This record gives sequence, C-alpha cells and structure tokens, in this order.
Amino acid sequence: MSGANFKGRLLRLCQKELKETIRDRRTIVTLLLMPLLVYPIMSMALNRFLLTSGEIEEGFTICVSTEVERKILDQWLSSPNSAPPQAVADSSGNELAKFRVTVIPDESPAEAVARNDVDVGLELTNIETGRPTATFYAYRGDGVSQAARRVVVERLQWLKLAEAERRLKATVPEYRTPLVVNAKDVGTVEENSLLGTIVPLVLVLMTITGAVYPAIDLTAGERERGTMEAVMASPVPRGYVLFSKYIAVVAVALLTAIANLVAMFTTLWAGGLLSLLTGGDAFPWLTILQMLGLLVLFSGFFSAVLLSLTSFAKSFKEAQAYLIPVMLLSLTPAMLSLMPGITLSGALTILPLINIVLLARDMLSGSVDPNNAFVAVVSTFAYAAAALSVAAHLFGSDAVTRTSEKSIGSLLKRPREASPRPTPQAAALMLALLVPVYFLVSNGLMRFIKASQDTSVETTLLLNAVALISTFGLLPTLATWLGRNRFKTTFRLQPSGIFSIIGAILLGLGAWAFAHEAFVIADALGIGGLSEKQIAGAEATVAKMRETSPLLLIAVFALTPAVIEELCFRGYLFSAIRGAVSPLRTVLITALLFGLFHVLTGSALLVERFVPSTLMGLIIGWVAYRTGSVFPGIVIHFVHNGLLNTVLYYQDQLGFLGAGFDDQTHLPPLWLAIAAALVVVGASLVWASSRGRTESPTIPTADSESRDTDVV
Amino acid sequence: MLTVESLQKSFQLEDDEIRAVDDLSFRVEPGEVYGLLGPNGAGKTTTLRMVLGLVQPDSGYAEVSGYRTAVDPTAVKSRLGFVSASDGVYPWLSVREMLLYFADLYGVAQSEASVRCERLADLMGISDLLDRRAGTLSTGQRQRVTLVRGLIHDPPVMLLDEPTRGLDVVGVQTIFEYIEHLREVGKAVVVCTHRLDEAERLCDRFGLLHRGRMQQTGTLNELRQQSGHQHLVDMFVDLLRS
Repeated sequence: MSGANFKGRLLRLCQKELKETIRDRRTIVTLLLMPLLVYPIMSMALNRFLLTSGEIEEGFTICVSTEVERKILDQWLSSPNSAPPQAVADSSGNELAKFRVTVIPDESPAEAVARNDVDVGLELTNIETGRPTATFYAYRGDGVSQAARRVVVERLQWLKLAEAERRLKATVPEYRTPLVVNAKDVGTVEENSLLGTIVPLVLVLMTITGAVYPAIDLTAGERERGTMEAVMASPVPRGYVLFSKYIAVVAVALLTAIANLVAMFTTLWAGGLLSLLTGGDAFPWLTILQMLGLLVLFSGFFSAVLLSLTSFAKSFKEAQAYLIPVMLLSLTPAMLSLMPGITLSGALTILPLINIVLLARDMLSGSVDPNNAFVAVVSTFAYAAAALSVAAHLFGSDAVTRTSEKSIGSLLKRPREASPRPTPQAAALMLALLVPVYFLVSNGLMRFIKASQDTSVETTLLLNAVALISTFGLLPTLATWLGRNRFKTTFRLQPSGIFSIIGAILLGLGAWAFAHEAFVIADALGIGGLSEKQIAGAEATVAKMRETSPLLLIAVFALTPAVIEELCFRGYLFSAIRGAVSPLRTVLITALLFGLFHVLTGSALLVERFVPSTLMGLIIGWVAYRTGSVFPGIVIHFVHNGLLNTVLYYQDQLGFLGAGFDDQTHLPPLWLAIAAALVVVGASLVWASSRGRTESPTIPTADSESRDTDVV
Repeated sequence: MLTVESLQKSFQLEDDEIRAVDDLSFRVEPGEVYGLLGPNGAGKTTTLRMVLGLVQPDSGYAEVSGYRTAVDPTAVKSRLGFVSASDGVYPWLSVREMLLYFADLYGVAQSEASVRCERLADLMGISDLLDRRAGTLSTGQRQRVTLVRGLIHDPPVMLLDEPTRGLDVVGVQTIFEYIEHLREVGKAVVVCTHRLDEAERLCDRFGLLHRGRMQQTGTLNELRQQSGHQHLVDMFVDLLRS
C-alpha cells in the first residue's frame, strides 16, 4: 500500500470511529451537558464557602462577667503597647489577631468556655487594688481556644514589658534597649492554593470521565454488538483498527477536556473567582493553552490505559467491572495532590496522574520547575506507550473466541514457541518500565550514599555498577526470558570478525574527540552546558575518584556500562526495533533513546549529555548494524569510556600534552586531525570487514546466516 | 478453492484440555455449497475461525485460492466473506456508511465500493434503507444489511455461520435465496448449521461433525447409502448414540 493510500485509509478509519462515538447521545451528555451543569453549581458552592469562611475571619471571642472587666480588657488590647514589637510582628506575618469581648453576666467565664460558646474566658480579680489579677480560661485540646489564649496572654505580656520599660526610662534616663532585633524575609511566597489544585484535579477527572464511555463502547461495546468479529475477519491490520479507536477516544477525551476547561474558566471569570486562581482579573489565555497541552498528554496516556483494559473485555458490563477499580485507584493519587505541602518533586514526578495534576497546579501559579516538568512529561509518554503496547497485545486477540486465549495474565505468561527477537510492543513495555525503575534505583542509591556519610569511594562505585546492572541489565534479560526470545539473536551475540574489532578499537580511540566537540558546540548554542556549580561538582568528584584504583574506575565506568548498555541498546532494543523499521531508523531510534537515557540520570537531568551521547549512539548503532553483532559496539563503548576515565585520572600528569581538558574549549586542530584519521581508518575497517554480511532486514533465526546488502 | 487439511485445535479450560477440532479435512469447490453440520459445540465455529485466521490452529492448515491462512493471512482474509448470526451493525452509522467502512477494511477502492453498495443493496432489497441509521433497522433488515456486508468485497469464498439462527420464515427464505445467488455466481460456500432440515435443502455436500471430528462426509445420496437413513436428522441421531 502506498503512503498516501495508507494515510487516507487510516484517516477514514479514524473518521468512522469518531462519527460513531460523537453521534452517540451518551457521549454528548458527558461531553457538553456535564460541564454546563457542574461548574455553575461548583462556582455557587465555592462562593458560598468563601462567604462562610469570611465570618471566621472576625477574630477570637473572649467573655467576661462584668462591663467593668470588658472595659479594662478592651483598654488593654487596644493600647498600642500591647502590640508585639516590630521584629515579632514581622516574624509572624504582620497579622495582628482580633478579639471580640462580650459580657456574659449569668455564668462564669470558665463555664462559657466549657460550653464552647466562646474561645477564651477571663476573670479579673483585685481590680480595686490597682494591681488586678487576670485568669484566662481555654478549652483543653481545642486548638483555636488554646491559640486564642496564648495570643491574648502574649499581648498582655508585651503590655507589661512596655510599661516596665517606660518606668525604667523615667527612673534611669540613660537606659537603652540592650539589643535591637530585626526580622526580614527573602524569596517569594510559595502558595499551594487549594483552588489551584482543585481546578487541574477536576479537569483531569473530567477528562477521564470523557474517555471512559467511548473506550468501552468502541471495544467491549463493539464486541457485544457483534461487529468486532466481522472487523477482525477483514484483512485490515489490527494495529490500524486499534489506532483509529485510540484516536477517537483521545479526541473525545480532549473535547471533554476543552469543554470543561472553557466552562470552568468562564464560570470562574463570571463568578469573579478567577483572581483567586491566577492572582489577576485578566482571562488567562496562555495558562489555558498550557493546561490544554498538558491535557492532550494526559488524554493520550489515560486513553491508552483505558483501551488496554477494555480491549479484552467481552461485554460492556465486564469492561465497567475492570474500569471501576482503575477509577478508584486514580482517585487515590488525585486526592493526595490536595494534601498541603505536596509538591512536584522526587518520586511524585513519575507517579501517573498526580504528576500531571501537580504540574498543572504549578503552571497556574507560574512556578514550573523545568526538570521536574520534563520528568513528568517523559514518564507520562512512557506510560502511554506501555499502555498502548499492552492494548496492541490484547486487542482483537480474543475478539471472537469465547474461551479466553489472552488476558492480562497472558502478558506474564511465556509463549510456547521461542522467537528470535522481541516484538516492538514488548520492547516499548520494557522501556516504559525502565524509566521509573531506573529513576527509583538511581535516586535510592543517591539517598543511600547521602545517608551513610562514611561510604567509601569504592562502595559508591560498586553501588553505581549494581544500579546499572539491576536496571539496564536485568530488565532486558527478564523481558527476553518472559518473551521466550532467543538470547543469542535478541542480544545480537553473533561473533564479529577480528577486523571489525580492530576497527571498533580505532573508532573508540577517535570518536571521543567528536563527542567532545559536539558537547562544546552544544554548549555554545545553549543546548545544555554546565553551570559553574556543576563544573565544581564534577571536579570534586574527579578529585575523589583519584583516591581509588584506576582499574576499579575502568571496571565501573567503562567495562560495566560498555557491556550492560550495549546489550540493552544495541542488543535488545536494536533487535526489537529492527523487526519493525528500516536499519536507518533503527540506528536513529536507538541513538536517540541512548541519548535520552543519559539525560535521565538520577534526580538531575544532565541535558548537556544528550548531544554527545546521541552522537556516540549513532556511531555505535551504525557499527552494530554493519557487523550484525553487539561486540564491536561494546569495544567502542569500552575504549571510549576507558580513555576518558584514564585521561581524567591522570589529568595532572598529562599536562605536558598542551591541551586543557575542560568541557568548554575546543580541542587543538592536531588532536582533531589524529582523531579524524582514527575514525576514518576504524570506520573503513568496519565497513570493509562487514561487506556482504550486513544484517538481514527479515527476521533472522538462530541458525540463519542470510544477510543482505542494505546499506545505511 | 477452499481446502482444510488436518486442522486441530485444543483449548485449555481451567485444568481440562478440550479438543475443539480434531484432524479435520474437507474441500469446497467454486459454485458448491458445503454444509458443515453438527450439534452445538461440535467445533463448526472454531473451524471457521481458524480458516479466517482469528484462531491459530495447533496443527494443520487452511488454504484459500492457494494462500494459507498461517502464511499469508491478509491474502486469505481478503478472499473470504464471513457472515454470522451474531453479526451486528453500528447503530450510529447509516447503512451506507457502514457498508463503505467494510469496503475500506477490505481495501476496495471508494468509487468501486459505492457502485457495489448500490448494486448489492438493490439485489437484497435494501436500497431504500441505505441512508437510514443502522440502529433503527428491524431484525430482518439488519440481517439483509449483514448479508450485503459479507459480499461487499466480492470474495470467491463465503463462510456462513448459523445464518438462519433467530430468523422468522421470511428471514430464512431470504437466506435461502442469498445462498442460491452465491451458488449461481460461482462462489465456494461453507454453511455451518445445526438446522439439518434446512441444510438438506441448501447444500450440495455435507460434513457431519461431532466432538471436533469429521464423522461422515459426502453428498446426500452418498450419506444415505453409507448410513442407511433417508434424512440427516436420523443419521445424526445414530451418530450421537454411537
């Protein structure tokens, strides 16, 4: 099928799914009617809440028994001398508590407090002596009552002190306050307004609501109506049908999101509540657009989750039974976002749903942290890809049989037949798991190192290696075992010729110079680059590493990543992706993934690593394709990392070479010329030694030696 | 035209393995109507699903016009028409939209699809329903739409699974006429049914299926000679007793 035909057909399939779902009145109810009704009611409720909470602002109530007592207390509290000193006021937000003094003549103040009629009760005795005794009553265990008493007691304390100071000055005119105290604030206020969290939360929940019905209707509903079997009997690929359904679900979810977004902001604007959310009265078009972008991402993710669940439900009822727990599960992190002090950081950046709600909240308050936002967006993308791959695995497989051949459990069931390489879906699932697992492992590791101050350099290095092996090593291995893929073909363990290995060594020796140049150019263009703080940190790390054996450094920073990362990227992922796309695209995709994973290191995003890592990924990917083997790539990776680590280790001793090793200056032309010569000779060797044995575009079997001459 | 050779399929139901189809072979030629007969659970539908590539056989193969389902499922599917009693319609699409959608699924060019849609609608008497929303159709009208849907890509082989189930006399008569039409235009037709009386009137050759195995096969006369019974019903009763 030609490209235009393919696109046209896919478009028509999407149109059909959209028509079917948009014409359904039930979709329209969730899409339009809900927002039209819900938000005005919510706005009215919120207005009512704000009016009610306004009454509380009037202050604390203190009761006394007589009018005389009231007058005395009023006089005390209204005296400027009872106000706290400026430094104390500044330290507590400059808010002076208000008090309302009432007279209750028929009962004692203690009884009034006990009945919870007032916050504090006051009894004044010995008034006539000119030295009255004030006794304040507060309700035990009642926070408001206790706070009210504390404040009023403090106020009288300031009054006493001011009076004492006045008298002291009258007696000793030269008296000066022995200490001057000031209090000042720095930074900006970080307010996590409740409304700022509720708005994105409601939007996210409404988007979910919008997606649920079409997701069920277009899968389980179609199966129940008896149209699915006929569709599956047609020659159209299942992926097309699933994709068109996915687009329809995302579209309806998005339309719901837009309808809700517009209705919500219009209601807030009309109700005069917009300033509570954005701090201004202007209609926040830009914020709305940003939130819409976020909702596009979220719809894409959640629609895939829904489809993966409804894809194997045989009826509407069954699909609903699957979705109810998911909806309840979704509510838990959603509610978590409402808790005070919750911010988009750490593990929350990769927690689905909550990360989007918190990111939207930060957008509303204009305080987005780009690193956390990046992690939230990338992880949501990864989850969407994983959910789609699950849906692709399940969709249609059980469309017609009443005896279930595939279920959620089948994802964890090893196939009966061994296959030479993983499917792209399995690889997507593995990658999606790799993101959070790597994040958790590397962050856990950093926490462990920080927690144990006396951790030696050796232990830190070993933990680094363990983290790499347990993520990039273990996950692809487990995925290969689970998918019953042959290890030899999946990890591309075919031996390569000796000339390829020599070529790889030369490439490894020369390529670092170009990776370095790419880094410097990227830095100059403002892509990534290191801050002074990062450079200082890196130098400190290098100094620390020099305390240990160079062999250990090579083992941890060269050998382990060379073997583990190559087996993952140029082994597992390369063979999986190669099953679906051309060699050129395989090299590009694996290189981009390689670059991306070098950015996602621990808690910080090392953006500056993207360009050089991707470049290395391209070089190694080309070699991996040419030779059909993972081994030359391991050699390049090892030589490259080993060389860099050796140079860093012996930096002081290598000063005679005349070039600096900092990351912001270009290499001398002679060095570049030597490196270029090494790369050219190395690449030529690889090319010549692999002529006629480039990897087959068809699925290779363990014993198949057939190769074609497809050239990248 | 359609060859089924040594097809075998088992399902795992909790701890039991159920052999749904056991070493099944038959052949259908163009212009021939083959009745795959058997009681409920005999393995008829599973056989059709294996032919269609919806269920993977444990062993054996199905071949349509020289293409094997396991090797080239797309070529096989595009040469098969499939109509089942449980087929439904898209309630929110018009009949025309639905028929054109299926034509698209089978890769029929849009202009060609429109012509076929009109022609087949005329043949099945649903021309006036083409722009009606499918959800508003009666059972009989839906059945005729489904029959047109099965032929929209002009397949050389038609598979009909329990086509008369749940239909009234008029509906059954429509099916008879439809099958007669298929025979006339030279399609190879497989009809799966447990309605043996209807099958006697419809089919040229028969395969009697019981517990996944082919028990007897041949024309009605051949079966009569083999069994000594006049009607398929009696032959089956004998089979079930043995």
